[in-house]
Amino acid sequence: MMKTGVKITLLLLVTTSITSLLLGTFIAVMRISRSRFLRACGTLYVEIFRNIPGLFWLLFFYFLFPELLPPEIGAKLNGYLYYPVVAGILGLTVDNASYVSDILRSGRLAIPHSQREAAISAGLSRMQQYFHVLLPQMYRAALPPLGTRMVHNFKNTSLCMAITAPELTWATQQIESLTFRGIEATALATLFYIALAGVMITLIVTLEKILKIDISSITHSRS
Amino acid sequence: MIKFINTNKWFNNRHILKNINLDIAKGEVIVICGPSGAGKSTLLRTINKLEQIDDGEIIVDGMYLSDPKTNLTSLRAEIGVVFQQFNLYPHKTALKNITLAPRKVRGLSKRQARERAIKLLERVGLTHRKDAYPVQMSGGEQQRVAIARSLAMEPKVMLFDEPTSALDPELINEVLDVMTSLAREGMTMVVVTHEIGFAQKVADRVVFMDEGEILEVGSPPDIFLNPKHPRTKEFMSKVFHIPVFGDAEEE
Repeated sequence: MMKTGVKITLLLLVTTSITSLLLGTFIAVMRISRSRFLRACGTLYVEIFRNIPGLFWLLFFYFLFPELLPPEIGAKLNGYLYYPVVAGILGLTVDNASYVSDILRSGRLAIPHSQREAAISAGLSRMQQYFHVLLPQMYRAALPPLGTRMVHNFKNTSLCMAITAPELTWATQQIESLTFRGIEATALATLFYIALAGVMITLIVTLEKILKIDISSITHSRS
Repeated sequence: MIKFINTNKWFNNRHILKNINLDIAKGEVIVICGPSGAGKSTLLRTINKLEQIDDGEIIVDGMYLSDPKTNLTSLRAEIGVVFQQFNLYPHKTALKNITLAPRKVRGLSKRQARERAIKLLERVGLTHRKDAYPVQMSGGEQQRVAIARSLAMEPKVMLFDEPTSALDPELINEVLDVMTSLAREGMTMVVVTHEIGFAQKVADRVVFMDEGEILEVGSPPDIFLNPKHPRTKEFMSKVFHIPVFGDAEEE
């Protein structure tokens, strides 16, 4: 049971890290776009998803979401054995993406306008400016807070126990109620959480070093 | 090559470009000088529409900048710009800074772009710095890479916006040397600079601006040694530290 718990927690972690980064980037680009409409949409997203607790979104996707879909699809989802995990991924993604987008937006604000001018003058299209000049610098400038956010998201996977996704915290609870060996199970879960968060932080710090993060190196040319 | 026709620009009710008329021929080197706030940089930046004009017309290489049908992105690819603050991409090495636009805009293969970049680095004397990041380079080196980056697009015009103003004095010449050789090869150049020595040696014509207006256009000796307009006279006397009548007793 612990083994399944670890597997599901890892699955939630890896999947939601990727999906929330993608969605968060998308929302961030909307929020810094020229179109007032896109900016408003992005801001609306952040305000809705950041101001409502993550646990709510997990419950929303688990209980309410299938009801909102056409009945056949909703029934299929409800009957799907791993739907709690799917709902968990959806809930964690929309929640974490709201934070990610705001962190990335702050990264964009750290890039001097002259970088865009250089890219424009080189004849790069808007898409190329984003992909080759702005986004890489946004991720670099935002990496330290982004790393913290991802560790936070990792801890949030434990909320999925509320919707019976068989992740590690849920498994610990089950072991406690079935075998009364809660202390051992909790100790093991604690060790696992500490170790994995430690690994994540080490990875992030290493990444910062590899990418030679030095905010001054990005903003030094502000004029 | 570049033609300004009655160009005007306002910024918050301030008239910052006043009725500019200027015709720059192919292969010509134009130096724009004047006191700060004169609108020199603004004028330069209107050429590739980094600054929008409010009135008049600018024609670059036969294309009208005000025409909505003008493909601005492809026009900008033909105009190299060198900035005061270099503006290299800090997350890319010198080589990658140079190869980005030729690959993405001109569609060069990785190898072609690399070969071109190496040649250009050789030309600005920085082959050994090809894998350095901008933070690891001196200002003069960064600016030479920035020039190479612009040249990699094989532009028809090069714009220089105070390219040496952010440099330590001993690094200025290495940048001016590159610019001089470029001018000798017949590149069309528009240069905003305070380097009078460079202007005297290289410029075909010097444009003197003040308060958004072109006051005088002429050959370097005309403008620097025999200025006609009183404002030009005053400015040159300050630049050359020559006291104007009666100021002699002042330090």
